[in-house]
Amino acid sequence: MQNLKNYWNKFKYILLLASILFSPVFTYNSYSDDLQQGDKIIEEMIAEAQKHALETIELSSEERSKKITPLINKYINLDFMAKATTGSFWKKATDDQKIKYKLVLLHQIVNTIEDHLNTLATMSYKPLSSELRGKKLVYVRGIIEDRKKNNPPINLLWKLSKGKDETFSILDLEIEGISLIRSHKSETTSILRKNKGDFDFLIEKLKIKK
Amino acid sequence: MKISYFLSYKIIILIIILSGCSNNSITVSEKMDPFEKMNRKVFTFNKKVDEKFISPISSTYEREIPASTRKAIRNHIDWLDTPSTIINSSLQIDLKNTILASAKFMLNGLTLGFYDLDKGETAFKKKDIGSTLAKYNVPEGPFLMIPLIGPKTSREFTGTILNTNIMSNISSAPLNDLRLLEAPLNAIDTRSKLSKTIDNIYESPDPYIKLRSFYIQNRRNNVYGKKYINLKNKEIDAEFEKLLE
Repeated sequence: MQNLKNYWNKFKYILLLASILFSPVFTYNSYSDDLQQGDKIIEEMIAEAQKHALETIELSSEERSKKITPLINKYINLDFMAKATTGSFWKKATDDQKIKYKLVLLHQIVNTIEDHLNTLATMSYKPLSSELRGKKLVYVRGIIEDRKKNNPPINLLWKLSKGKDETFSILDLEIEGISLIRSHKSETTSILRKNKGDFDFLIEKLKIKK
Repeated sequence: MKISYFLSYKIIILIIILSGCSNNSITVSEKMDPFEKMNRKVFTFNKKVDEKFISPISSTYEREIPASTRKAIRNHIDWLDTPSTIINSSLQIDLKNTILASAKFMLNGLTLGFYDLDKGETAFKKKDIGSTLAKYNVPEGPFLMIPLIGPKTSREFTGTILNTNIMSNISSAPLNDLRLLEAPLNAIDTRSKLSKTIDNIYESPDPYIKLRSFYIQNRRNNVYGKKYINLKNKEIDAEFEKLLE
């Protein structure tokens, strides 16, 4: 019995030592998995968008927008973007206003991407680096280059986070250091502030310009 | 001539005083726009001028002039701006940038800058007096919309006036004439280069706010570089993580 106790005590120390030694390896593996997954998501999305651009080149912009909507919806975190672009006003919106705002926001994103689809189709994307930020975020850096070298390359930074289903979604995109979420937030909060937080007015204003 | 100098220095003094009214921190809010009412009026005026004159000319320029020729023109305009980068890199004690910009200026001088002889191998950072003033902690100052010029912070506007004065004093007369002659071409070329971005701004619900946000983010990234970007990203990360909870 005494021997068994001694063995158990020794085994406990070995277990403790092993967990200390190997935990950084496991953590590192999980970090590097996250980074790879982040890179992969962006490359997949760019490839799909380029394919879509070529396949829909002869369609009207409205039809193109309709077709690309599910693709964009698949990769972005719309709930997060809606919250991030309205700041403290989000909490004051009703459920119905929140749904409507998310829809117009998605349409705006789709229209912006649709405007740049042909440019994207003629350019090549090159991943540069990826980085883990804090507990939840992954930054993926890349560059898009003009194949004919007539235009300077454009630096992109994608900000992603892992959802509950373990898949990554896009939270923000910075083009040459300009954050799309920040720009959109300055606009929406300025409109909301000038109109006493009237969400319906904001939605109408976004619809008009759509 | 003397009157114009006197006026420009008066403007510079006024702008520096205005700059003093603002916060010097690099995390300063983008909402720092005490002249918003007046700025919006100037923005509407500039937009009208752009839509009536600059945009149509720039569209024709883009349509009619081949991409390779436009690229040569852009290279030449950049080359003409390089002396300002050389001077400001020296003032900012950025030796590497000074050497790179000087080498490239001399090399491409063989083609008057129309052709990039090292094919983009020598990359240097563009620097102007605005960035030099930032380096020596002159505050950014309020956001201004200048008629026919566009968005500037008061520090950058001071820099633009000083830059024009200094460059016209140290450059040779033919180079000054060339710079003056090419100013409209520069405006058209810049408009064509930024056509998608400008159209995107005009289509937004509040184009003035969008332009202000784009301008300030871009200018701060260029002026403060990594220091600002790291600080900004840290702030944004914290905000994003909170929203994800």
